[in-house]
Amino acid sequence: MGPNLRKFHGLQAMAHQPQTDAARKVLLPGGLLQFVPRLMVGVGLAAISLLSQQSRQGVMPAPGQLSTIHLVSPVPNGNWTLPAGDYANTRYSPLNQINTKDVSHLRVIATFSDGIPHGQEGQPLVVHNTLYMVTPFPNNLIALDLTKPGFPLKWIYQPHPNRQAVARACCDTVNRGASYSHGLVVYCTLDDHVVAVNANTGKLAWSTRVGNIYRGETITMAPLVVHGIVIAGDSGGEFGVHGKITALALKTGKVLWRAFSTGSDKQVRIGQNFHAYYAKDQGKNLGKTSWPADAWKIGGGTVWGWISYDPELNLIFYGTGNPSPWDQQMRPGSNHWTCSIFARNPETGYAKWAYQMVPHDAWDYDEIMENIAIDMRWHGRMRKLLLHPARNGFMFVMDRRNGQVLSAQKFVSSVNWASAYNLKTGRPVVNTLKVAPQGKFAQGICPSSTGGKEFVPSAFSPVTGYLYIPAHNTCMNRKESEASYIAGTPYLGSSTAMYPGPGGYQGELIAWDVRHARPVWSIKDKLLPVYSGVLATGGNLVFYGTLEGWFRAVNARTGQVLWQFKTGSGIIGDPITFLGPHGKQYVAIYSGIGGWMGAVAQPSFSTDDPYAGLGAAGAMTAIKKISEPGDTLYIFAL
Amino acid sequence: MAANQSNHASGTGQAMRKSRRAAGMIGAAALFLLAAGCHKKHVHAASMGAPPVSTIPVGPVPGSPHNSWPMPANPYQGNAMALMQGRQLFVQFNCSGCHGGHGGGGMGPSLRRRYFRYGHSSAHIYSSISEGRGLGMPAWGTKVPQNDIWKLVLYIKSLRTPQEPDPPRMPKQPLIAPAK
Repeated sequence: MGPNLRKFHGLQAMAHQPQTDAARKVLLPGGLLQFVPRLMVGVGLAAISLLSQQSRQGVMPAPGQLSTIHLVSPVPNGNWTLPAGDYANTRYSPLNQINTKDVSHLRVIATFSDGIPHGQEGQPLVVHNTLYMVTPFPNNLIALDLTKPGFPLKWIYQPHPNRQAVARACCDTVNRGASYSHGLVVYCTLDDHVVAVNANTGKLAWSTRVGNIYRGETITMAPLVVHGIVIAGDSGGEFGVHGKITALALKTGKVLWRAFSTGSDKQVRIGQNFHAYYAKDQGKNLGKTSWPADAWKIGGGTVWGWISYDPELNLIFYGTGNPSPWDQQMRPGSNHWTCSIFARNPETGYAKWAYQMVPHDAWDYDEIMENIAIDMRWHGRMRKLLLHPARNGFMFVMDRRNGQVLSAQKFVSSVNWASAYNLKTGRPVVNTLKVAPQGKFAQGICPSSTGGKEFVPSAFSPVTGYLYIPAHNTCMNRKESEASYIAGTPYLGSSTAMYPGPGGYQGELIAWDVRHARPVWSIKDKLLPVYSGVLATGGNLVFYGTLEGWFRAVNARTGQVLWQFKTGSGIIGDPITFLGPHGKQYVAIYSGIGGWMGAVAQPSFSTDDPYAGLGAAGAMTAIKKISEPGDTLYIFAL
Repeated sequence: MAANQSNHASGTGQAMRKSRRAAGMIGAAALFLLAAGCHKKHVHAASMGAPPVSTIPVGPVPGSPHNSWPMPANPYQGNAMALMQGRQLFVQFNCSGCHGGHGGGGMGPSLRRRYFRYGHSSAHIYSSISEGRGLGMPAWGTKVPQNDIWKLVLYIKSLRTPQEPDPPRMPKQPLIAPAK
C-alpha cells in the first residue's frame, strides 16, 4: 500500500467521528501549535479539552465491522482515555495507518524510562496530545508532551505512598493504569489511595484512602470512571483481606458506596432487584452462609482486574479473586462470592446478577479477568454477550443481561481441574484428584494458580470476530496446610510449585473464534508464558509482547508475525494506539519484566526454590538467563 | 572503648539467655493461639515481646577501619533440634508466605543468597527479624520470643548448606496427557 492510500485510510477512520469545525482546525497539520496559545489566553484550557476530546472521541460502529456484531460503546480512535480504550473492554482501535502492508516499516520514535526495576503492567493513556503513564510503586504519574520532538517530560506527579506497602504486594509492586475523565487522571496507589490529578497541571485534585495496608490491603488495579463515579477495587487475596469495590465521586473523592465480595447481602449490596441465573447462586446471605463462622471476614474475593461497562444496560461488570486462605480445607462451603462475576448498577452499587464461576476454589483461580461486552449473533439471534477468558482455562460466553453461561470451552488443552461446565447448573465438573488436601501433594494440576491466562487482557476485533487471548500452559503440584492468620502477613496454608505444562510450550497467543467457540490460529512460546495484553486494530493487526521482550505485530486473520522489535526487558504491559498532534498513528507499549511470574527475573528471587514467588519460580527458571528488569515506555510509528 | 563494647555485648547476651526460658513459655502460648486459628484481635492481644532495642549496628562503626563491634552469637549454634524448629517456625509465622516456601523470595527478598541488604551475620538477621525493615518487613520482636527468633536465624543461615532441613526439591512432574 502506497503512502497515498495510507493517508486515505487515516482520513476514512476519522470521517466516522463527530467533529465540530473548530475541532477540525485543531487536527490540521501544524494547526495545533498556532491555535493553542490563543486559546490559552482567550478561552482557557477547558476549551482545548473540549475541542480535542470531540475530535478524537471514539467511534461506533467501527469501519468494516461484521454485520453480526454490534459494539456497545465507542472504540478509541485517536485518544486512549480508559484502561481498555473503551468501556466494553474490547481493546480494539479502528486506526489503520499502520496495517498489514506497511507495518514492516514500524520504528521507534521515542522511549522513556522510569528508572524502576519492577514490573510495568497496564498501559498509558493519551488525551489532548499528552501521554500519561503510571509507574509501579512509588506510583508516579508521568506526563509526556506529544507535541514536541522526542515526546519530552511535561510534569511528574509523585504521591509518595507508604513504603510499608511494598511487602504487602503479593505479586510485585505493579500498577495497571489510570482512567481519564473531565480533566482528571484518576488512579490508585499501592498504599490504598485513589488519587485524581489535574491532567493539565499535574497537581493533585483529591486523594482518598480506601483501604489499610496493615490489614494486607493494597491496590494495583486501574479504576474505571462511569458517569462521574470512580470505581476502584483492591488487592490482598493472599493476606485474608475483605475484598471489595469502592465508588467515589469524581469531583470530590467522596466515597459514595462500597460493595464487599463476602458477607451479608447488605454488605455485598445484593437487594430487591438481584436475580442470580443459577439455583446454586440463589439464596439469602450466601456471602456469609457459605463459609465457616466468621471466615468470610478474612475471606478474600479481591477485585484487582478490569472493570467494564455497558452504557445501554447501565451495568458494570467485574470479577472477584480467590478465597482466603489458599488452604481449602479451612473453609468448607462454596465461599460465595469469591471467584465470581458481578453485574452492578454504577450509581447505586446494587448487584443485578452474579455468577460464581469457581465454587470453593482450591487452585487460586481468581476470576478477575476482563469481561468484554459485545452484542453478537449467537445461534441464530443477536445476544448481549459477555466474553470472559477465565483464569481457570475455560472460555466463557455469557448473557450479560442475566449471567447465563451460553458456552464454556477449554482454551488451553491441558486444563484438567474440571472436565467441563454443566450449562444447566452452572457448575464445573471437578476432578477431585486435583483438589489438594492438607499434608499430601496433589500432582499435575492444570492450569497452575497463575491460570490458563493471567490478568493480562485479551482484545476483541469486531472485524474478524476473534478474541485474541494471551494464554499460559503451566501446571502445578500443591499441598495444603493449616494457615495462621496474622494481620498484614500472608494467609496461605499452601505449598505450590509450578512447571511448564505438556506439549513443549508454556505460552501462546490464541485467536479464538467466539461464534464457533474454537481456536483459529496460535503463536506458541516454547519457554515462557505470554504475559502481555493484546491490542487489535483496524489495520488488520494484533499487537502483543513476550517475556523475552519481543514486541510483535501479527496479521489478525492468519497469525503471521509481520514485524517484531526487541525491547529492553520482558513485556507484561498492554499495547495501545493513538493519533499524534498531526493525525499520525502511534503504537505504545511498556517493557519491564515483573508481575507474579515475571518477578522471578528480579534479583530478589532464587530459582533453586520452586516454591518461591508463591510457586511461580518453578515454572520460570529460564527467565534468569533471558530478561533483566527495568521499565521503559516505547512509542513506535511508521 | 573496646572493653566497654565487649561488656555491653556480653551483658545483652546474658539478658537474652535469662529471658529465654520465660519467653519460651510465652512463645508456646502464642503459637497455640496462632495454631488455633485465632483472629486479628487475639494475635494483637498476644503481643509479648519487649520493645526491640537495637544493639547491632547496621552501618559501619565510625572511627575504625574494621567493623569491630562484637556481634552476639546464636545461642543455638549447632543445635539440630533448634534447626528443625526454625524450619517449622518459618512456615508457622508466615515467613514462607513472603520469602518463599524455602526462602527463595517473593514479596520479601530471597534468603538463599549470600547478599543481605541489612547484613548476613546471625546478629544482623536477628535484628532484621526483631526490628523489622523499611520496605514492610514486620517488627517480629513484638510478637515472637527471642529464642524463637534465634531458631529462625539458625534456619535462615542453613539455607543452601548441607545442614538445610527439608531442602527444596524440584516438583515431580507427572505425565499429563493433553485433553482430547
